[in-house]
Amino acid sequence: MSYNDTDIAALITPTMIHRRVYTDPLVFDLEMQRIWGKAWIFIGHESQVPKPGDYTTQTIGRTPVVMVRDKQNDVHVLYNRCGHKGAKLVDKSCGTVGGGFRCCYHGWTYRLDGKLLGVPHMAGYEGTGFDKEDPQYSMQRLERYDTHRGFVFASMDADAPDLRTWLGGAGDVLDNLCDRSPEGEVEVAGGILRYEHDCNWKMFLENLNDTMHPMIVHRSVVDAANSYMATLPANSPRRDEAEIIPPFGASYENFEATGITGFRYGHHYDGGKSSIHADYTVDPDYEAVMLKAYGKDRTQEILTFNTHNTLYYPSLTIKSAVQNIRIVRPLAVDKCVVESWSFRLKGAPDSMLQRTILYSRLINSNGSMVGPDDLTAYFRMQQGLQSQANDWVEMHRNYGSDEDHGDRLTNVGTSDLDMRSQYAAWRHYMLGEAA
Amino acid sequence: MSTDTKKPDIRDIETFLYDEASLLDRPDLDKWIEMYTDDGTYWMPAIEDQEDPLNHISIYYDDRVLMEIRRRNFVHPRAASKDYKVRCSHIISNVRIESITDDELLVTSNFQCVMYYNNKQTLYAGKYTHKLVAVNGGFKIRHKRVDLINCDGVLGTIIIYI
Ligand code: FES
Ligand SMILES: [Fe+2]
Repeated sequence: MSYNDTDIAALITPTMIHRRVYTDPLVFDLEMQRIWGKAWIFIGHESQVPKPGDYTTQTIGRTPVVMVRDKQNDVHVLYNRCGHKGAKLVDKSCGTVGGGFRCCYHGWTYRLDGKLLGVPHMAGYEGTGFDKEDPQYSMQRLERYDTHRGFVFASMDADAPDLRTWLGGAGDVLDNLCDRSPEGEVEVAGGILRYEHDCNWKMFLENLNDTMHPMIVHRSVVDAANSYMATLPANSPRRDEAEIIPPFGASYENFEATGITGFRYGHHYDGGKSSIHADYTVDPDYEAVMLKAYGKDRTQEILTFNTHNTLYYPSLTIKSAVQNIRIVRPLAVDKCVVESWSFRLKGAPDSMLQRTILYSRLINSNGSMVGPDDLTAYFRMQQGLQSQANDWVEMHRNYGSDEDHGDRLTNVGTSDLDMRSQYAAWRHYMLGEAA
Repeated sequence: MSTDTKKPDIRDIETFLYDEASLLDRPDLDKWIEMYTDDGTYWMPAIEDQEDPLNHISIYYDDRVLMEIRRRNFVHPRAASKDYKVRCSHIISNVRIESITDDELLVTSNFQCVMYYNNKQTLYAGKYTHKLVAVNGGFKIRHKRVDLINCDGVLGTIIIYI
């Protein structure tokens, strides 16, 4: 079948999602055009391209793009496609092209902002109507790109709202991540892990603030950590693992109390006043540089704004309190890649990056004892939803009691407010409904 | 701990590496952990020539504490990802002694590991680096480094040590 707007609208009710939203390749194709082709998508961070000619590559849906710094120090997001016959100009995840791009096929060259510079052996083009100065033969710029505190986003929709409007109140968490640096700046550090997921991309997003799962899915690692730690003598040295793993087994009441806050365009976070990261020991050296930079009250304010997971729908998820992010890249209706990145807080002691790295390794790595259990649940949903026994997935929890604060909705941490926010955005992008 | 200064027999080292691999073939983590010293570590870097497990992400970097947690997690009846049988077949070759110091042997080898997990068979390949210490006429592992040839590629779940 094909989908008209009425068919698409019938896939989502305020409390139910049709299984085809997760399983139908035609829905996936429409999502790539209408969601990934319109929303602001996280591309990278300016710290990844410190010098002119430095670049990183990404994809938006199926579209390859390149982020590059030009000679005026401006960062551009360009379509990674040669203006001649379409070859990708660069094919590594990051690197440098020096003064400009040069296509591997027929050697067309481009300025760092994408403008076509040279075409070898122009003779044959005389009188053919081909005009090298015609912008259609240059590398094309994304319709929109902009940065917020070094985070680079791009959109293929010329009519997208400006980035700051789109981030809305959820931008507070991105700001908090940067404010946790005594210099107010972060940089990408410590490498990127790429983890293939055999599931629909939305399952990963819907799990971020699903606080009804950790005590079930992560019980095994919590039990294992607690039972081993209990065998250690009381005066054993403190281990960061002992602070990071056990909160995944926090109670329903605990998660309920942390709250969920939802925003326009599908963004949301859980926590705020508190989260499962709230009780980490604060490194005294870190506290000292923060106090020096910000004073007591502001330091307190920054460190107690404690969220767990924040989603900038559909591509970027951050944990500001541990300075890592995960981004999702859909590949097919039942396949996506989740990338884990770490950030260094500029001016903070090395121990902070080391904790971030440890956290990613313990929780996000493909060899960890946490991520693989989440993925098993997604994989089983992907399989189970092939069943025709029941066409619907439900998201009723605390429906009807979301509190409206104007720019945001709030509810208890165990509510399905996060999913309802995501599907309001899904309908906005897929059907043009108000955000 | 006794120290053996004369060059050890390469066949003894090979046998030791095979013994370790066969514990991972099953896998039997209880016995496997016993092959490590108390300060033993297991490292699977995420990039080629990675120098640092602390300031750069790794796929695995476990000391005894994490090995102990992992051993318990691996047999926990509620770990969904462990609901599936894990069976491996390790082949080790090109075993070389790279250096011998007073109390440590540096041994490198190539490996291929076919892992069966969740209805899928996956081939992992790469290079092992073992730091071995001589203990009571045998060896223990002070450090094992596993460099996958696709360490920086897109990888699925790696459910158990390789
Ligand atoms: S395709 Fe790039 S120069 Fe021909
Ligand atoms: Fe989880």
